[in-house]
Amino acid sequence: MASPDKPINTDVPEKNAFALHFLQTLSNLRTQNPFNSPNKTNDRVTKIKKAAYVSMARAAGGTNRLWSRALLRRAAKEDNKIVRLRKKRVTWQRRRRNQRAPEVERLRKLVPGGGGMETSKLMEETAHYIKCLCMQVKVMQCLVDGLSPK
Amino acid sequence: MSGRRSRSRQSSGTSRISEDQINELIIKLQQLLPELRDSRRSDKVSAARVLQETCNYIRNLHREVDDLSERLSELLANTDTAQAALIRSLLTQ
Repeated sequence: MASPDKPINTDVPEKNAFALHFLQTLSNLRTQNPFNSPNKTNDRVTKIKKAAYVSMARAAGGTNRLWSRALLRRAAKEDNKIVRLRKKRVTWQRRRRNQRAPEVERLRKLVPGGGGMETSKLMEETAHYIKCLCMQVKVMQCLVDGLSPK
Repeated sequence: MSGRRSRSRQSSGTSRISEDQINELIIKLQQLLPELRDSRRSDKVSAARVLQETCNYIRNLHREVDDLSERLSELLANTDTAQAALIRSLLTQ
């Protein structure tokens, strides 16, 4: 499936790297606060979700990718509880972009770090992001199937 | 920081990209979308449509991750031997 073409890097995200990192984080979560405490269910779901995304970003090459770097940085910020509101600079370039293609702007909001990317880069990163998300969903589904009582 | 530096480098380096390159990227995206993957021969899909479907697809995947996180959370709360089961499922996937 991967083609040697230059513009899009089609390297398939490392499934095992994701699974390993995700499992490690899950077991860390378990030791920190046991999962069988009845309250804080939502909290737990949020943590698992975050673990999944962070593991995906790490498996995808950590800070080599723009989207994974943005995702990891956002996660680290949440951990430190320093939430700074970033001023939105609307340059004329961005304003022109807004007028041109609303679809691109919508995509920008969905891909981590998409706000600062050039359009071509955004599409390249989107392709990689989608592949990683698919891989993530597949592995998580495997885990759910494996854990479900038979 | 490093992120800012690379961003400015990137925008100054490739200021102009050709239509062809954009089209190529659109086609690559289209091939990733289950909705549009098979319609590639019959008729040409507009770039706007591809981008729209891309957004929808990403949203769907995000939702799936939400659901799976919830189910994992439930399952992990209910199994005592979750650790062992996790490893087992990892080995058999």
